[in-house]
Amino acid sequence: MRDLPPMTGKRVWRSLEEYQHSDAFGEMLKAEFPSIFDLWTVDRRQVLQVMGASLALAGMSGCKPVRSDDVVPFVNRPEGFIEGRTEHYATAVLFDGYAQPVLATTSAGRPIKLEGNPEHPTFRGGSTPFMQAAILDLYDPDRSQAPLMGGHAASWADFDGQMTRWRDAWAKNGGAGLRILLGPTTSPTLLRQIDGLRKALPQARVHLFDPIATYDGSAEQGLRPKLDQAQVVVSLDDDLLGPGPSQAVHARAWGERHGDVSREQRMRLLMAETTPTQTGAKADRRLGISPSRLPMLAQAIAAAVGLSGGEVRLTEKEVAWAKEAARALTEARGRSLLMIGRFAPGHLQALAVRINQTLGNLDRTCELAPRFTFAPAAGESFLDLVRDIEARTVSALFVLGANPVYQSPGDLDFAKLYASVPLRVHAGLHVDETAARSNWHLPLPHPLEEWSDARSPDGSATIIQPVVRPLYDSRSIHEIIAALTADQPPAAKDAVRQTWAGQLTDDDAWIGALKTGFVQVPPVAGAIEAPAATPAVNPPTGRAGEVEIVFRPDPMVHDGSFANNGWLQELPKPLFKTTWENVVAISPAFARQIGAKSGDMVRVQANGRTIDGPAWVLPGQHERVVTLFLGYGRTRAGRLGTGIGYDAYRLRSAANPWAATGTVKVLGTAAILATTQEHHLLDAEGEDVVRSVTPEHASAVLENDRDQESFYPPWPGDKPAWGMVIDLDRCIGCNACAVACQAENNIPVVGKDQVAKGREMAWLRVDRYYAGDPEEPETYFQPVPCMHCEQAPCEMGCPVHATVHSPEGLNLMVYNRCIGTRTCSSYCPYKVRRFNWFDYTTDAPSPTEAQRNPDVTVRGRGVMEKCTYCIQRIEAATVQADIENRQVRDGEVMTACQQACPAKAITFGNLADRGSAVREQRSSKRNYALLSEQGTRPRTTYLARVDAESADG
Amino acid sequence: MASRYGPLPLNDSLRDITTQVARVPLRMPARVPWLIALILSLALLALFLASITYLFARGVGIWGLNIPVNWAFAIHLYVWWLGLGHAGTLISAMLLLMGQDWRNSLNRFAEAMTVCAVICAGMEPIIHLGRPWFLYWMFPYPATMAVWPQFRSPLEWDVWAVMTYLIVSILFWYIGLVPDLATVRDRAKKRCWQVFFGIFALGWRGSARHWAVWNKTYRTIAAIAVPLVVSVHSEVSLLFASGQIPGWHSTIFPPYFVLGAAFSGFAMVAMIAIVMRHTFKLGHIVTARHLDVLAKVLLAMGMMTAYGYVFEVFDAYYSGETHEIATVHDRFFGEYAWSYWGAVVCNFVPLQGLWLERVRRSPVLLFLISTSVVVGMWLERYMILVTSLYKDFLPSSFGHYTPTFWDWSTYIGMLGLFMTPFLLFVRFLPSISIFEDKEVLAREKEEAAHA
Repeated sequence: MRDLPPMTGKRVWRSLEEYQHSDAFGEMLKAEFPSIFDLWTVDRRQVLQVMGASLALAGMSGCKPVRSDDVVPFVNRPEGFIEGRTEHYATAVLFDGYAQPVLATTSAGRPIKLEGNPEHPTFRGGSTPFMQAAILDLYDPDRSQAPLMGGHAASWADFDGQMTRWRDAWAKNGGAGLRILLGPTTSPTLLRQIDGLRKALPQARVHLFDPIATYDGSAEQGLRPKLDQAQVVVSLDDDLLGPGPSQAVHARAWGERHGDVSREQRMRLLMAETTPTQTGAKADRRLGISPSRLPMLAQAIAAAVGLSGGEVRLTEKEVAWAKEAARALTEARGRSLLMIGRFAPGHLQALAVRINQTLGNLDRTCELAPRFTFAPAAGESFLDLVRDIEARTVSALFVLGANPVYQSPGDLDFAKLYASVPLRVHAGLHVDETAARSNWHLPLPHPLEEWSDARSPDGSATIIQPVVRPLYDSRSIHEIIAALTADQPPAAKDAVRQTWAGQLTDDDAWIGALKTGFVQVPPVAGAIEAPAATPAVNPPTGRAGEVEIVFRPDPMVHDGSFANNGWLQELPKPLFKTTWENVVAISPAFARQIGAKSGDMVRVQANGRTIDGPAWVLPGQHERVVTLFLGYGRTRAGRLGTGIGYDAYRLRSAANPWAATGTVKVLGTAAILATTQEHHLLDAEGEDVVRSVTPEHASAVLENDRDQESFYPPWPGDKPAWGMVIDLDRCIGCNACAVACQAENNIPVVGKDQVAKGREMAWLRVDRYYAGDPEEPETYFQPVPCMHCEQAPCEMGCPVHATVHSPEGLNLMVYNRCIGTRTCSSYCPYKVRRFNWFDYTTDAPSPTEAQRNPDVTVRGRGVMEKCTYCIQRIEAATVQADIENRQVRDGEVMTACQQACPAKAITFGNLADRGSAVREQRSSKRNYALLSEQGTRPRTTYLARVDAESADG
Repeated sequence: MASRYGPLPLNDSLRDITTQVARVPLRMPARVPWLIALILSLALLALFLASITYLFARGVGIWGLNIPVNWAFAIHLYVWWLGLGHAGTLISAMLLLMGQDWRNSLNRFAEAMTVCAVICAGMEPIIHLGRPWFLYWMFPYPATMAVWPQFRSPLEWDVWAVMTYLIVSILFWYIGLVPDLATVRDRAKKRCWQVFFGIFALGWRGSARHWAVWNKTYRTIAAIAVPLVVSVHSEVSLLFASGQIPGWHSTIFPPYFVLGAAFSGFAMVAMIAIVMRHTFKLGHIVTARHLDVLAKVLLAMGMMTAYGYVFEVFDAYYSGETHEIATVHDRFFGEYAWSYWGAVVCNFVPLQGLWLERVRRSPVLLFLISTSVVVGMWLERYMILVTSLYKDFLPSSFGHYTPTFWDWSTYIGMLGLFMTPFLLFVRFLPSISIFEDKEVLAREKEEAAHA
């Protein structure tokens, strides 16, 4: 991290200067801090200095978890406390407001790792990169640590004092002028509290701000897929396997219907997409299409399944795809599913419901579900709020868990509008762009610190229980919202308990719900209406010379809320393999046309505004489509996320946030992209790297895979022989394994500069390969951990015995013996070893070190490291087995990557155990070893992808 | 004028040889050029010290290394320096045993060059370590935990090879120097020089017994040193050939590396000989005949190295291995093709001039050709390292390598580490063997008298 620019005090104050024009702020300053107000009017520069120092002090004192200085270590061990033992708690973290059920592991009271909750009925232990990385957000050193008033450190008592005055005023006028802007949420407690607020203050309004849906509040589709029931899935631009609150659920369904399953069991996936996604990469038949033609494609399918549709004109390719999709859908009537992406216009969502209805899929492979996210009432969308601010009817605005100043579309100039609201209160995890323009900023706790609740996409709820005491002086959103009406607001725990009082009546039920980590919510009575067919609003097609622009959340930092998460920033985006910034995705044909190559800076103009970003030539991208990614270009994200990438929100329009038309111009300069892998189409050199089997050729073994003779004796068979099998047919390239590995094994974040030099530290990488025509490529994902070769080339290279073989067949790395000759890495045919070129760990900002796994050595400068098969987990299981005087059972040791994989693509176990799953998989016909001709005899092998369809389709 | 009986001019007396050589340390004839050279090399040495100070403070990340190219300058220069050194041993020891008289005018400074180059070579693997302070773990010292070095590792062989080579080179050089140290001691006018040379002359009086013992010792060490040239550089090549990386994993590597080493080494000796001959006006001792012989050896070595180039390519195609063929293609046409073609051109194109006697005997042309060879071999070592590592097996882990400022500063600074001790040697010790040249001249005169 040392090469990253530290956040300077300057940035804080530069934005404060914008306040000097704000009368409201001045008045408040005068009322609250007369002494400072005098300075303010006399010499602003001095105020800035005074306040700067105080903020710096506040920041420094707040850097470490609170601890009294007279601590005394215990002499007699408290009962039940065993050092080094970890505890697990079922709770949830949030993604777009939805619960992502997790099991949090704590060691000595500090959470160190999140796993998917295996008890959860739909997630079943699956996780996503975002779930895995959420723990780092808890320890984000740039988190907001105390309330700020006008950027100046204040106390909750100060805020409560103000609140009393405001509350009295609102109680009198029924909350007139009070507005609340809420980020997306599913929390039943929060929804209950909002209902209460509406009753108590009928004049107040609660608006929704959801940059990942729409700004005008129009409902998302009510169609909830049950992917595990579907045999044929036709997706129109719906990235089912990509980032989203249901990613883990979908990936599990995908995994269950791939790999070693019968032909009937196997899920067939057809994908038409406006920009390449993970789902498209895994589809049996993929079609690249521009957003303006997507409605026509949907109508063509609708017509083909028997719904009346308008006249559509499609290209030959599109017709062929639509025909095939329709045939597949109808042939598997009742077991098929058509999904339309949430970024597509509303009338298509309704069409999807009708198509599924016609096919009899409804309530079998999908269902119409009530919306359990916060739904704004009429007149309560974000755009309504904007109108009201313009009309000057908003006197107080509470922004809770949202960042509208950054995430508003560029045609609104919300920052200016926001500044015109007299009282602006922001609550969030960070002092972000919105916080910087607010009178008050209130720190919110991380979900792992405070009580709350939320619902998963399947409808079940999770009580979010804290697993650590709040690190900072934060207050729950439930308490803040309750304080708007109540003098003595209940604590968050009581508020949550109250919500569930009806269902979890006694303590046993409550504790039971906490232990399992979920509560089934009884469905709301009454049939759910299919969404009414809204008038067709087709995306703009653009004038001649213009391209269609689509906006997408960034695959790794999403809408920008993960911008300060180093793990996600450094995680290569699944398809581009770029890190630390967003790119402008263009097609190979378009790149040739404008003369750009990956890394060249381009200027994209749309809606009268421009952004400059590095181009990325993306195989499979539709020729006339340019994709921009949200989430970057932040100005106040923290030390990691600030000032990198371009801000795509600026090009968005409020009316049509997901599509636009515009032009692309090459600027003539080039950016250095920090990629972990370059474009390489698989040629003769790499053809054996990822393999596929077809119905005709069921075996993945090739001619030159013959087990070569070795001078060395075979490995003795009396010990466990740990091995891993990775199923490429199941892998969806999501990176959950890579983040899980990073969290489990204390892998440092090294920064863009180091990644650009080829020094990323990931022990497990997910390689992406393309094959075939760059316009319509085959995309392959291949996770590559250490192969733990039985005849490891690395081991003979080390002059000091720092990398040796264990009796159980593990290729060990002895960090404290390593002197850093790097011979092992030079000799490694798989290049899975990582080197500490600098000291990457000592200067890691506090309190991120609290996340580190105490069972894994933190590596210093100058030593080599690599995947260990999570040896700490193997040892823990072995110790337990020894205590119980038995062998380690199959499935008892799960590596971090295996545990995280939502598609269950990774199997680990003892190859010497005849009944083990890993042994069974290894005997599959699809099993092959990477670079087997090298005679390294890897313990990690792969199961080839299944091409169920012949090439001509 | 060289006589037809040998390399040295017959009209010189034995005394002339002593005077000509001994005046260099005793009355430094080229004081100003020497001073300028010393200041320059001290500046480079300072740069080297600054570079490794920063290196030790921050880590090897200051260089342009990465995964996959995790070896570059330090290792390629290790091979290069060691190669330069080999010519000294070949000239001194092998030609001594083979009774080639002409080597007597060249051996002393060639050996000194070897010692300096081996010191530089030895530095490289040390500074390239991630944790250089644990260097001693590569030695079989009696550790409490009874951990030994890993004897299967080519790096471990490196340690032994370089240490042995350094010790033998220093011994051979010093033993050869003893009679001359005594000569200089006897000719020294100042007390301090008399004491200085007196100590290192080990009480040499030139008695017949001294000569008998000396001859035995000298020839024994020479016999040990000759196989070392082959074994040390073969071993260095195994550092690469033991890995499975395409472009390294080849049985041709040991002879290919040894010949390449001798090739660059002879070029280096030729360069130094020409400079010294010119600066110290030693034209009567290092004659045009010497240059001619040196050039012929250089040509022979070069042609054998070229054979290695041809067969490296042939091997790749003959093996049919896709990765090996891809690496060869990549050397021809890839990102680092400049290093391959640079090596081919610098090593072999100007070299062809040496077929002509006129060129062989022209100090200027020979100097230029030798420089070209030294540069060419530098490029070759770079090419072998970088082009093999940056694209190995899996396309996903292909990378790039660009040297940083610190890569260059460490390398250029190390030229100071090479030049400073060599300049001091030239200044303070007889840089050409006096007694051996006298022996040659005496024999020549004898043969002339008989004729």
